[in-house]
Amino acid sequence: MKAKLVVNIGLVICVAISFLLAAPVLAANPKLAASITAFGGSGSVEIDGAVAKFIEKELGVKVRFDSLSHGVIHARVKAEAPRFSVDTCWNVGYPLMLEAKEKGWSVAYDSPNWRGSGDVFVDPDGYWWNNGSWSFVLVGNKDLIAKAGYTLPNSWKDLLDAKWQDKIIMPSPLTSGTAYMMLYSFMTLYGFNEAKGEEAGWEYLEALNKNIHHYTRGGNTPSDLVGRGEFMLGISSDEMVVPRVKQGYPLLWAAPKEGIGFGSAGAIIFKGTKKLYTCQKIIDLFGTTKFCKFWSGLAGYVTKDPKAVSALYGKIPKYIPNIDQGWAAANRSRLSNEWVKRIGRVPSK
Amino acid sequence: MAEAEALSRPGLVGQKVKNFLSAHTIDITGGLMFLLLAIFLGWPIITVLVKSAFGPEGFTLEFYRKFFTAYFYRSFLNTLLLGVLTTSVCIIAGFCIAYMTTRGPLFLRTPLKWITLLPLIAPPYIFALSLIILFGRSGLITKALNLGWDIYGFPGCVIAQTLAFLPLAYLMIENTLSSLDTSLEDSAANMGASQGKVLRSIIIPLLTPSFLKAILIVYVLAVAEFGNVAILCGRTPFLAPDIYTIVTGVEHDFNMAGVLSVSLILPCAIIFMIQNYIIKGKGYVTVSGKPISAEPRHMSPHILIPMIAISFITCGIILLCFGVVGLGAFTKIVGFNNTFTLNHILDWRANDALINSLKVSLLAGLSGAIMGVLIAYVVIRGKFRGRSSLEGLYLAGFALPGTVLGLGYIFAFNNPPLLLTGTMIILVVNCLFRFVAVGMEAGITKLQQLSIEVEEASLNLGASTITTFRRIVLPIIFPAAMYGFIYVFMTTMVSLSAVVFLTSPGYPLASVFIFQWAQYGYIGLASATVVKLIVIVGICLAIIQYMSKWTGLSITRRG
Repeated sequence: MKAKLVVNIGLVICVAISFLLAAPVLAANPKLAASITAFGGSGSVEIDGAVAKFIEKELGVKVRFDSLSHGVIHARVKAEAPRFSVDTCWNVGYPLMLEAKEKGWSVAYDSPNWRGSGDVFVDPDGYWWNNGSWSFVLVGNKDLIAKAGYTLPNSWKDLLDAKWQDKIIMPSPLTSGTAYMMLYSFMTLYGFNEAKGEEAGWEYLEALNKNIHHYTRGGNTPSDLVGRGEFMLGISSDEMVVPRVKQGYPLLWAAPKEGIGFGSAGAIIFKGTKKLYTCQKIIDLFGTTKFCKFWSGLAGYVTKDPKAVSALYGKIPKYIPNIDQGWAAANRSRLSNEWVKRIGRVPSK
Repeated sequence: MAEAEALSRPGLVGQKVKNFLSAHTIDITGGLMFLLLAIFLGWPIITVLVKSAFGPEGFTLEFYRKFFTAYFYRSFLNTLLLGVLTTSVCIIAGFCIAYMTTRGPLFLRTPLKWITLLPLIAPPYIFALSLIILFGRSGLITKALNLGWDIYGFPGCVIAQTLAFLPLAYLMIENTLSSLDTSLEDSAANMGASQGKVLRSIIIPLLTPSFLKAILIVYVLAVAEFGNVAILCGRTPFLAPDIYTIVTGVEHDFNMAGVLSVSLILPCAIIFMIQNYIIKGKGYVTVSGKPISAEPRHMSPHILIPMIAISFITCGIILLCFGVVGLGAFTKIVGFNNTFTLNHILDWRANDALINSLKVSLLAGLSGAIMGVLIAYVVIRGKFRGRSSLEGLYLAGFALPGTVLGLGYIFAFNNPPLLLTGTMIILVVNCLFRFVAVGMEAGITKLQQLSIEVEEASLNLGASTITTFRRIVLPIIFPAAMYGFIYVFMTTMVSLSAVVFLTSPGYPLASVFIFQWAQYGYIGLASATVVKLIVIVGICLAIIQYMSKWTGLSITRRG
């Protein structure tokens, strides 16, 4: 009788132990994949590579990525739809994130780390996550400007002065998302905000065009060429300003008084990915304070987390008011074609 | 007796069957080559043509009408001019250097030759980088000499493309120059002809076919390889970067890209036809045709000085450019913060790309060598109709701009049944079919030297076509195969214009990688990757050279 009891208790204990052992397996999370593929949209191997490294360090997931500019990624995604060659992408702009949501190219996910971040940073329906806002700034070559006896302009309007003729470079909206951000920001600043409509925005861009030496393919190229002293001024993505000053380029930069535009360095998960769980974990990771601190320190992105201070701006910079990302995304193709007609494919001066 | 007959009859029948099959091996191979040609060259090109004239609503000339707007028309004219200028400079400089290395002072020959050949193993667009650092608005030389010029536009593009494609022009001219029988020149000189007269009346006319070949190849590459042009064009429009922008940029306009491609092909096709027309039916062979190392000639100053000047300036710029790349790889920011660093070289991010490039190039090179030899054999020994058109069509594939073929491959192979995009195969196949003509031509030249009687003897003695091919033809044709291998291998390593459309994430190629880094201003990393690429190609070439010495088969001589 006693022996039977002992056996029974033993059995119960055994079953309990085996349940305990099995519990993690039964409730098992799907496993993280060993590697995923991605587009990195900063167009800078340094920056996209740093994100890949961060992910590998934190999650142990190897990321195989192609670093391209926003514009090129957008075009590629459009061409590939509905069969995407990558699982996810990051550092991409609102136009792609919004179009992907609208066309059903991306999948939604309610990440706990992103709840309550506001609609600049996270889609209310969970289709995209903006790791950090970035912008374009005015950059100048310290040596060249000093030699010419000029100072770095403090207003976008100052760039129209004839003394800057052929001395400024900026990217082309046909290949660069940064350049498209410049386009819709100036459209808002000089067109809509002054109640003059689009046409006034074009007037500014056409006047500026007279001083532009040429339009580069990448949004970060101007800060390189200006740093090298090839050109005196540039309107450039703000992403490489901090790294390049650290490298020793004689770069000056300014956010002119009217304000700067903003765009997203955001992430989406592509529909059809076989590594959904891993992608979701990466989105969770992007939502942590640790990532935000890393991200704002790397190149000066302004993140959702107030604890993370932008290495470039310090505090939150002045933005051009009333920038409507939805309008910008919806009108991208039309505005780009208009730019081609008015500026891009007008035979050179 | 009856027994003997019974024994030998099956043998005889077997022999007949064997012969029959042997005869058909060639036809079958020929048919296969035609099929591959149709799939991998014909189809992509047709899809490009179709895209240029068919919109969503069917046939339309709307896209062509758009072409004749001011911008694209100017882009077209600029491209023609770029091609003509680059080709002329390449031919003139190539000829001067070739003349110096075959007739000039002995001590100059080797250094000049190797310097001129250097650009072969570097991605063409590194010159854009080096030129900005040297001759840009704040370039080292611009500052040193206080030049007030602007490199962005025609000057930069022409110089960069010339440096990139000079070796090809040089190789073709030098190959013929070194095999011209010098006794012809000697007799002319003995009979009182001046050096200028000898050049005009003997050397240049005899070089016509090489000039024409060089013109075609340099022109095609100069208009299609867009790496240099995209970085240096500034505001001057050119077709190749335009096509790239239209396809990969916001517009994503494949129809217009098709139209621009057609306008890129047409001039190439015209040059191709003119070249064939001129060469056809004319003999350019001197008496012996064997390579002879010519004695250094006495040159009168009015010939020597310009030739030396052109050769030295060209080689000087090449050396400078490579110097900048070397410096760029080992300094923080070359020309700017010249502190020594190993960071760029020790940066392993490019390794994947380098390994992928090596894989693709080796595969393309090997299959290129084999296919080249097979086509050559079929063309020379086959008896079916259309043999010469097979050769012509493969040559035409070589004359197609890479940008167009890259685009055509996206159109043709992005759908089942042949869904190849995103795979390594598409890269290999693309490079293979673009460059296989070189191995084929070398094979044809070799085979023409081999009398068919040797093969007939082998066949009569009972060997099958395959055995004959293996035992008799292969040893003779081997150098041509090696030549084809080296050419396909090296061009695949560095070519950008077609593969840039075909690479996929996670499978980068070194040339695309370097182009992207250069474009975004990572000169140090781009230079370091170029240095690694050069070392890899160098090692591969050294291994091949060693192997060929070891096996006793020469690869250095072609035809």
